[in-house]
Amino acid sequence: MADDKKYEYSVNEVPPIGHLMLSAFQHVLLMVVSIGLPIIFTAQLNETPEFTASLITFSMLASGIGSIIQALRLPYLGSGYLCPNLCGPSYLSLSLSAAWIGGLPLMRGLTIVAGLIEMFLAPVIQKLKNIFPIYIVGLVVTLVGISLIQIAVTSFFGLTFQGDAIKNIDIFIGAVSLLIMVFCNVWGKGFVKTYCLIIGMFLGWILALIIIPEYWQNILSVKNSPLFAMPQFNTLLNPITFHFNLIIPLIVIAIGSTLKTFGNLLAIQKMSEPELDEVNFAPIRNGIVADGLATALSGLLGAMAVDTSSSNIGLAGATKVLSRWISVVAGAIFIVLAFFPMLTNALSNIPRPVLGASTVFSGCFMICAGLVQMLDEKWDQRKTFVVGIALFFGLSTAFLPSLYARAPKLIQTFFTDPLPTTTILAVILHQFINLDIVYRKIRKRY
Amino acid sequence: MSKLIRSYQIIAFSTFFLLLSVFISGCESRHEDLDLSVYQYRDTKDLVKFVYDASLIIKKDGLKSMEYFRNNRKLYDTPDHYLYIYDMNGVSIYHAGMPHLEGKNLWNLTDKNGKKPHQMAIAALADKNNPHAWVHYSWWEPGKFYPVPKSSCHFKVTTPEGKVLLVGGGMNYPHEEKEFIRIIVDDAAQLIKEKGNAALSEIANPTSQYIFRDVKVFAFTPTGELLISPVMNDSLTEFKLIDCVDEMGHKPFEKALRELKNEDSVWEIFLAKNRYQRMLVKKSLYLRKTYIAGQEIYVGAITDLPQPPG
Repeated sequence: MADDKKYEYSVNEVPPIGHLMLSAFQHVLLMVVSIGLPIIFTAQLNETPEFTASLITFSMLASGIGSIIQALRLPYLGSGYLCPNLCGPSYLSLSLSAAWIGGLPLMRGLTIVAGLIEMFLAPVIQKLKNIFPIYIVGLVVTLVGISLIQIAVTSFFGLTFQGDAIKNIDIFIGAVSLLIMVFCNVWGKGFVKTYCLIIGMFLGWILALIIIPEYWQNILSVKNSPLFAMPQFNTLLNPITFHFNLIIPLIVIAIGSTLKTFGNLLAIQKMSEPELDEVNFAPIRNGIVADGLATALSGLLGAMAVDTSSSNIGLAGATKVLSRWISVVAGAIFIVLAFFPMLTNALSNIPRPVLGASTVFSGCFMICAGLVQMLDEKWDQRKTFVVGIALFFGLSTAFLPSLYARAPKLIQTFFTDPLPTTTILAVILHQFINLDIVYRKIRKRY
Repeated sequence: MSKLIRSYQIIAFSTFFLLLSVFISGCESRHEDLDLSVYQYRDTKDLVKFVYDASLIIKKDGLKSMEYFRNNRKLYDTPDHYLYIYDMNGVSIYHAGMPHLEGKNLWNLTDKNGKKPHQMAIAALADKNNPHAWVHYSWWEPGKFYPVPKSSCHFKVTTPEGKVLLVGGGMNYPHEEKEFIRIIVDDAAQLIKEKGNAALSEIANPTSQYIFRDVKVFAFTPTGELLISPVMNDSLTEFKLIDCVDEMGHKPFEKALRELKNEDSVWEIFLAKNRYQRMLVKKSLYLRKTYIAGQEIYVGAITDLPQPPG
């Protein structure tokens, strides 16, 4: 283990096999949250259970491969940080629209193009490093954490559908799981601190099994799934189409996803290499290329679009276990699990409040890492207005969705979610509010 | 140290898998007789379980259990649902939320739309398509002055004393379940098969079970001729159902009819506008094939689909 205790395992360190496997499994438990997304997706399309199973399998394969290439640090490909991939909600609405208009072929086509756009944006973001000063980088990381709030809190309350019943017992299970994780992380040492999430999730799961019969029934249903099943690779031969009417929302969402990955990679870089005085854009660029490639690959496989996982980075920050080899092993475990529906089913039966608690736990680290980074700089009124105005309008997209449902089309297109909206506004405002400084610099130069 | 860690790991995992296998092999539920898989919302499942549990108490303890229910009104009148017990002639024996109704005969009581909830509940109990005897009507909350949409499910219980009772429970502002439209469409198809054209006016009657809230059973021929319109009762304009498109330009009826060549019933999803949401709202169309005077016709209804939380 590293001596200075900045981390338990540093980014390039290979932990002993036991720790490597257990840490990877801990990350897999967080990645399992994403299995719910293909299920939501197919429920919205009224698809068959076979289609759902196939979508889950290919999404897991894409996530696994994405996690591995992100961590391996190949030439121009992969950040070389612990930054696993999973089915992100960023593309859910677009995937649904695509599936509605042109079925799976169009969804595949759009996902591939979204991945290619992200790969194209990677070197552009590196070139635009001057428009991302440290406080805006901190803001982006904070927003990545904030973007977890919706899925974390609805899961914490055990909610499956909008407006459905919320039970005190679910809140109790979520709260107990969260408290165990926090307790183990704050007061635990060694094994307990490092594996605080696994301990909290398993104890929460056992508590749920003991007090809620519904979860017993869910576990019982696992017996009906086959232990081993090959994915239906023949679906890869299905056609791939594209629809130019969707190009503008596609670009907006791809930019949003790129910014999210950008924020994730900035956060994990800060955690992995705290000694860096300024952002090292080379691994960030390579990481975005890897994420784009994973997204394109998921389209090729007929899976849901994959994305870098903020909650896993939060977990890495919480445990100070930052070895990228954990991401490689977690990816490999996810790939193997894709061939074992019974195991996948068992893991996907982890009670929602427990999953919610784990996302709240890891989200805390993202939000605070971003805030610390943002406020680390000398603050002035310019920054106050850049961050304040961007947050007002960016967060309003989440607080006031019905307002944006009636907003002019142009605003509807660009004011989508808090993360991309706030980031784009902050970048524009930063340039605008500092025009006088830029002007003075130019005058000095010439 | 590493030995200690390994021991911890082995103990933790062994305990977990042991407990898991005990649960998997040993757990049973008193609700195993109930098929709740047809419902999507927890609220709906909870209501069925709530009424079923009360029916088990009555089945076991008979009329003596009324004292228990009266002494525990708070347990049976919750913010989510409430319990009531009637005899088969409409006399209220117990009502958790409205004790003043007890002893009164509500056989002919009508809601604001002219529906007779008690008569509908008795009919639903005899309906094989409707295993939990769902009825949908309008009621009010104690102390309030505005109508509240309701859905109620019912069980028929014979007490040890030999008395036949209707045990029911209702929920305010219910979710629209796909099962609710499955029941009324299957019932309407059966009615048309049995009564022919005479069934059409009964199905189109607003006080019947076939129309509730925004749901309405409609019927049409393979050429698209409307027997009962899904939107208006008298048509001034030509309305070609089969050519109708959703917000994405899809033709859900055309697709459904293609699938009905090989099936008796079919579910289709389509997208509709919603003023308060940025995304389009998913709706579900259920169609069933039936026959009127030897001619194939289609009966259907439309309902909302559950939305992801957020």
